[in-house]
Amino acid sequence: MSNALKTRKPLIPPPVAAVMSAIVPGLGQLLSFRVRRGLLLLFSFVSIVGLFIWRLTILAHREVTFGDQFVKSFSRQPAFVIFICALVVALWVWIIVDAYKMAKGKKDKGAGIFALVLVLFFSLGWQISEINVYKMVKEFPEAWPPLSRILWPWEAAVTRDTSSVEAEAAILADDSVNPPAAPEYIEGKPYLKSTPTFGNMSTLDKKNLAVKGSVLHLEGSGFEPDTLTYIFWEDSIGNEFRPRQDGDYVSFVTDADGSFVFDLVMPYRLTPPSAVGQQIHHVHVRQTSDVGPLKASEPLKLTIVLMLETIFMGMMATFFGIILAIPLSFLAARNMMSGSWITMAIYWIIRTIFNITRSIEPMIWALIAVVWVGLGPFAGIIALTIHTIAALGKLYSESIESIDPGPIEAIQATGANKLQTIMFAVVPQMIPPFVSFTIYRWDINVRMSTVIGMVGGGGIGFLLVQYIRLLDYKSAGIAVWFIAVTVAILDYVSSKIREKFI
Amino acid sequence: MLEIRNLTKIYNDGTEALKNISFKVEDGEFLVIIGLSGSGKSTLLRCINRLIEPTEGEILWNGKDIAKADGKSLREARRQIGMIFQHFNLVKRSSVMTNILAGRLGYVKPSSSLLHHFPASDRKKAFEAMEMVGITDQAEKRADELSGGQQQRVGIARALMQDPLMILADEPVASLDPVLAHSILGYLDEINKKRDITIMCSLHYLDLVQQYSSRVIGLRDGNLVYEGSNAEIRRMTDGEFKEIYGEEAVRVNAGSLTGGIENE
Repeated sequence: MSNALKTRKPLIPPPVAAVMSAIVPGLGQLLSFRVRRGLLLLFSFVSIVGLFIWRLTILAHREVTFGDQFVKSFSRQPAFVIFICALVVALWVWIIVDAYKMAKGKKDKGAGIFALVLVLFFSLGWQISEINVYKMVKEFPEAWPPLSRILWPWEAAVTRDTSSVEAEAAILADDSVNPPAAPEYIEGKPYLKSTPTFGNMSTLDKKNLAVKGSVLHLEGSGFEPDTLTYIFWEDSIGNEFRPRQDGDYVSFVTDADGSFVFDLVMPYRLTPPSAVGQQIHHVHVRQTSDVGPLKASEPLKLTIVLMLETIFMGMMATFFGIILAIPLSFLAARNMMSGSWITMAIYWIIRTIFNITRSIEPMIWALIAVVWVGLGPFAGIIALTIHTIAALGKLYSESIESIDPGPIEAIQATGANKLQTIMFAVVPQMIPPFVSFTIYRWDINVRMSTVIGMVGGGGIGFLLVQYIRLLDYKSAGIAVWFIAVTVAILDYVSSKIREKFI
Repeated sequence: MLEIRNLTKIYNDGTEALKNISFKVEDGEFLVIIGLSGSGKSTLLRCINRLIEPTEGEILWNGKDIAKADGKSLREARRQIGMIFQHFNLVKRSSVMTNILAGRLGYVKPSSSLLHHFPASDRKKAFEAMEMVGITDQAEKRADELSGGQQQRVGIARALMQDPLMILADEPVASLDPVLAHSILGYLDEINKKRDITIMCSLHYLDLVQQYSSRVIGLRDGNLVYEGSNAEIRRMTDGEFKEIYGEEAVRVNAGSLTGGIENE
């Protein structure tokens, strides 16, 4: 805006300017030659009102007319609607007052009105992004159990061998012809006898209510005395499950002789329609106990294996990245390529490719790489390598651009050729930034490879996502701990190495 | 012998740094170039060994035109012309020895030099050069551990490694204090007198010019505005002085070391 425009006299008297701004907010300012102020106020007012109306239609999306939408929204979020309405009215009044002042030719900048505009935008932003502090606080207790398992998962890190004592009996379901015989009794072995060895399974009636099946009278002996014992049911196609009775898994404690007597209601089990002939189920009685020393659990072992895979993914990606980024970075350095228009064209092309490639996150490259080479760490390495080439290429080329041209001049003046000049004047200057950026990138790559598995790129992220989806928060916690510790160590080591080289 | 004919340099941004300059440098001269910063001194020196491409004109070096030389012949001309710089232009992270050996790059086999392999004779030569400028005990230090005066001596040793016929010195003492300035110019003087190497040097301090030059040329805005012998510069009038340094320049006491011409 030119000075001539600023000093020009307002076109209209103050009261008219106020009325103008009452009809179209900002118009009064515009006509007083406060063009930027007027436009800014107009755009702010229009977008605030527009956003507000949009939120109302979302809050009350079933209502058709604006009036109904307003009433419905008000009933749902009264604080939000009142607050915004009040502020919008305040802004409108302020714009009118402001127009009056501007038309009077006030020099005063008056930034307060823009503070109000900002408050309005932030209030709308608060509602649009569905920030809900109340919910966050209220629901914390529910989040605590899984969270606490993630924070302290170490009970799941160890396990012990188990030994089990078990006996089974065959049961004929929904039939009574030729029931299976009781198992043969062998001295010294656990023994289970069911009376009878046939009966009806539990079923569901038309209202989906459970109809209890026949009761089996179970007698057993030869088990561990005074030990918690579980019953398992194996259906006619060999699938085992733990039946419930009155909501709990069926269990009991054996007596001092290792014997028991228990009445079991035959559980509900869908029989596949293709099943023909006699349906023989089995009932198992099982005692398990931990024996032997503590040892690493399966999640712990898997976590360690995949953590190693992750570190090596980061390492390989950094390695391939460096190898490809070094030559490319010379092509992307302006001071190396300013020779002719052909080299400058190469410079621009490589620069552009670097910028585009770098702006796409490794996670997205991983999605593409998974399509290319399939699930697994190789896809992750490809994704990280692509991103590393672009990121390191840019950093390298910028440090090549910022080297001291003096030594290059001096080495050229001795009659050295181009390659000698690079080896003697450029390379020694490049070593500290190259080492520093490379270590930094290795650090980033390992951190990135911990999440790249979430989209199938291998590494520990894959495991972590699986555990979370299985609600196995303790195992997930082990993975989280390993990631955190590894990243922290790497951070420390890389900063130490970088210090040495600068 | 060096002969400059009608040398003109116009930079890409349109700046005319040198305007149709012609002069001769006889073998064994200590030619000093004076002039304000921006008058074209550095451009002139860098055009001679083509660190800057001249726009027009001829640079006849012992009969051959350096301005038209390319590839191998340019490198051969360059290695006959050593150069030292205001900011020394050493490779800071390399050792003093490596910096000095770099002066032989124009002579050694390119393939072996890339692996920093130099013949034993070159290493011997490097020690001789260090001895000449008195830095033998610094050989294994990193260049940036040295003081300014020592760095410039490394610069001189590097130039000497080229077995040069001429040394170009671009304000070699402008970053040094007056005592060091005398010591550095003393080495150049010694090289000039004992080894019969032509020196072409740009300087700011008039008393240094009067003490060391055998002949002086003056540049102003890219034009050659003064040419005179050592005797003539000792008798220089205020009029001639202002011709080179402009109307605003005040002539300070030429006899004192600290009384330089401050123009930066």
